[in-house]
This record gives sequence, structure tokens and C-alpha cells, in this order.
Amino acid sequence: MNDKIQRFSRSWRIQHLLLMVSVLLLMMSGFSMKYSETLWGKILIFLEGGFQARGALHRLSAVLLFITAIYHLVYISFTREGKREFKSLLPTKKDFSDLKNSILYDLLKRAEKPAFGRYSYREKVQYWAFFVFIVLMFVSGLVMWFHDFFFAFFPKWAFDVTFALHGGTATLIILFLVLWHMYVVHLSPANFPGNSSFWHGDVSEKWLKENHLLEYKSMTGDSKTKQPEEKED
Amino acid sequence: MTALLTILLALFQLGPSSQNARCFLCHGKKDFGVVENGKFQSLYVSPKQFEASIHGKFTCVQCHTDVKVIPHFIRPEKISCLQCHFEGNTVGAPVKYLPEMYKYSVHAKASAAGNPNAPTCETCHTTHYVRSPKDTSSGTYRKNIPQLCGSCHKKEFEAYSKSIHYRALENGMLGAAVCTDCHQEHDVLPPSDPRSALSAEGVVRTCTKCHADTLLMEKADVPVQQPEAYSESFHGIALENGMVRAANCTSCHGHHDILPASDPNSPINPKNLPKTCGKCHPHADKNVADGKVHIIPSERSAGIVFFVYTFFKWFTLAVLIFLFAHIALDLSGFIRRKYSRHE
Repeated sequence: MNDKIQRFSRSWRIQHLLLMVSVLLLMMSGFSMKYSETLWGKILIFLEGGFQARGALHRLSAVLLFITAIYHLVYISFTREGKREFKSLLPTKKDFSDLKNSILYDLLKRAEKPAFGRYSYREKVQYWAFFVFIVLMFVSGLVMWFHDFFFAFFPKWAFDVTFALHGGTATLIILFLVLWHMYVVHLSPANFPGNSSFWHGDVSEKWLKENHLLEYKSMTGDSKTKQPEEKED
Repeated sequence: MTALLTILLALFQLGPSSQNARCFLCHGKKDFGVVENGKFQSLYVSPKQFEASIHGKFTCVQCHTDVKVIPHFIRPEKISCLQCHFEGNTVGAPVKYLPEMYKYSVHAKASAAGNPNAPTCETCHTTHYVRSPKDTSSGTYRKNIPQLCGSCHKKEFEAYSKSIHYRALENGMLGAAVCTDCHQEHDVLPPSDPRSALSAEGVVRTCTKCHADTLLMEKADVPVQQPEAYSESFHGIALENGMVRAANCTSCHGHHDILPASDPNSPINPKNLPKTCGKCHPHADKNVADGKVHIIPSERSAGIVFFVYTFFKWFTLAVLIFLFAHIALDLSGFIRRKYSRHE
């Protein structure tokens, strides 16, 4: 039991859970319309309670995502913990050299695995991709939701662009989630078959040392004594 | 022997008309008729016109089966065309346009309810002078159908006669939509009936029948992509999923008096679009005319939408390749390291 280190605070995990639930619902209710003529599109629409209920579900989960985004913005702007998390998510020069060294390491041209901090370029790219995606989805989604209102301001082609943008970004998001996020956090050799720290927040000392050496060192102050970072509950 | 056969054959050929000649002894006289309830009712049938009709080769008694002796003193029963024109008949009476479906039509219902003006078979096809719809002199020939229906439906014909469909028909484009293309031939049903080709969901299929026909649209010089683009639009998807309040073709284009966008009287003329869209979208103003309708994002004609679509297509592909390559590299590195450690 001593082996456990709390890596994600409760607030961080709640944000992740809200994001996960709302994005999954949004993807389900969104793609079922985009592919409503296919069999699985029809099955999804049936599960969502029909076409109208699907639309309501999409808007409802968008509101949930909006609340999550506000929660997150408050978290990173006003809480000490959030400010620190945000700081460690900002891209640095080291991320580019980490990418290069990581490739060299995988090509067996480099013996040592690059030492990552709390968030490596792999996690940062997810965070920032999602940041941009969600802003794009919000803006385009609002225009479509309140199209009757925006008809007074935007030309017709703007709505067509919005529709194309919303659909295009949705495809990018699902690609990122399925291919990259699932791989990085669950299916990569270090985590296979899965990593449950998103739920309880704990990782093993060994795992942290192997995957985020710099974070481990800063936590332990280079000594072997463990100091859980945030709270101990 | 051959001569005998020839004579027999000739007799057979002459058969109907020579038999009919006995009927025409009376019915072939122009002033032949009866006085009924103090009114003269003509019983004249023009032998010339009858013989030119599609039924000219039949004998009168083949339809009037209850006439056994001549002269007949009783009024023959009213004939049902369906006594031959039913599916599976053995006399070769054509049923291509499903005459039996008439019984479902509004016409049949009105007739059953006792409306004396409700059309039955002979109202459109005539009684004794039925001609093939392919015969240019037939009332049911494509080009003549608007006048045929219009003889009762005057207001509809007036509206239709202003339409681009009628103009094309007048200019010899036989493929242009006439009444029966949208309203069905025999089972004419009100748009409120879900079986109607003009129900909210049916109307899109009905217009698509012709407007997705590449050859026909090429002849008419009308873009053929409209139905496909519509089915991928919000309106199309919503309608396909049972939201009948979503705009269908006729919501914007009108129906009988359909005109191209270039015509100032058309509801889809850029000047009229704010009003047309405004029927459902109260804030629509002249903005709605700014941009193309019926676009397919993957086609250049979509303008800026095409560029957004193309950007996303290539960007997504690039991201896919990059992420996939990174994962493949990661895994191959992992396996090779493991392998070399075991060596």
C-alpha cells in the first residue's frame, strides 16, 4: 500500500470524469445524426430515444461540457493547484527535444529513455488539442443551436461553414481519442491493459519512476521518501 | 386448303367489325338515342372513332356481355373496366399503371360518396374511344394530361401553366413533370395521406425521381446534385428521421407554379428568399441569399465550404498518419528492445 502515490487530485478527476461523460454523450448523439442513414446510426438513435431526443441529449451534454469548461477555467485561473497544473501543461522547448529523443529511443539510436516531467509532450498535445477542439465546437455549436437568432447576422454560407467545421472537428476529436488518448493512457506497453488512475488518482512508485521520472524526483526531492503531492484522503 | 385457311383468317379478321356492324345499324346513327325523364340521351357511337381506338379490334359484346339478342330492349349494365384490366387477366389487358389502385384514390372515394362530378375511368380515358397513352391524339398522352386534369382542376391548371415544367412541356420536352408524375396515375391521394407520393416524406422521393436522373436533367439543363445535397442537409436529415415540419422541396420551391431561381416570381429568387426562408426562420433577412443552397462539401462548386472540408480532410489524414506512425514506432521500439534484452 505504501507503493501508491496520489497523482491526480479529486478536483482534477472530477473534471476528467465530467469531460469524459459529456464528450462520450456528445460523440454518440452527434455521430448518430451524421451517420443516421447507416445501421449503427439507426441503432444509436434508437438507444437515444428517437431523433428528437437525440437532439435534446446532444444539447444537454453540450451544456454539461460547458459547465465543465467553466469549472476548468476557474480551476486553472483561481486555485493554487489549478495554476500549478496549468503551468505544467504549457508547452516548453524541452517538449520538442523530448519528441526527438523519444523517436531516437524508439529507433534504438539512443539508450536512455527521455525523462518526462509531470506532463510529457504526449499528454500536452492532448490537452491543447482538446482545448482548441472544444472552443471550435462551442462556437460552431452555438451558431447552429441558435441559428434562428444568428440568421440576422450571418450570411447563409457562414452556416454551411459552421456545419462543415463542426463535423470536421468532431472527426478529429474521435481520431485523437481513439488513436492517441487510448494508446497513451491505456494501450501503450507501460500501461497495458489499462491505467485506472483517472478513477482513483493513484499510481505506483515504479510506474511514476518509469514514465515521469522528473515528476517523481520533484515529488520525492531525490530522496526515497514518498510525499503524496496533494491531499491524503 | 391454303385458300380456305386464308378465307377463314380473313373472316376472323373481319369478325369484330362485321359483328359490330349489327350494333352500329342503330348505334352508328348520329341521332340515335332515347328520351329519358323528358330528356334526349344520345346513344350514338362513332364507328370510325371506335375502330381507331385501342379497343377497336374487340366486339361490342365482349364488354357488353349482357347483350344477347339484337335488338336489345333492356338497358345494358354499366361496365367495369376492371373486368378486363385486373392483374393476372388472360386477355392481355395492360395493367402497367395499376388501374386497380383507382379504388384508393380521392376520386373513387368522392364517387362512392355520391358526387356525380367525381371522375371514373371513362372521364379521363373516354368510354368508347380509348387510346393508348402513347398515342399523341389521346387525352392521356403526356402532353395532353395537364389539359385533361385541368378540365376539372382549373385553379391548379392555371398555376401549373405558369410553371417551368409546363413551359418545358410546351417546348417539346416530354420528360417535364405533368400532373400524374407527382400525383400518381390512378391512386391519386391527398398529401395528408402517408401513402401519397406527396406526403411530407414522399414529396422528396417524388421530386428526386426525376431530379436525380442524370440524362433527363442534362436535357433540361438543371443541376442533378440537388437531391443528394438536400439529403445531407439539416432539413433532409431531419425529414428522413421523421421530423415532418422540416422543409421539404415544396416548402421553398412551391408546387404547381415552380419556377427557376432566375425568375423574379420564383420563391427562390434571391430577392424573395428572405420571405421564403422567413416562413420558418423569423429572423431571416437578405443574408440568407448570400451563399449557395444545395451544396455538396466535397465539390468545388460549394465554394468556401469546399475549402473548409478539404482542409479538414487533409489535416485529419495528416494527423492520422502522424499519430499512427508514432504509435507504430513506439511499439516497434518496445518490441525490439525487449528482443535484444533477451538475446
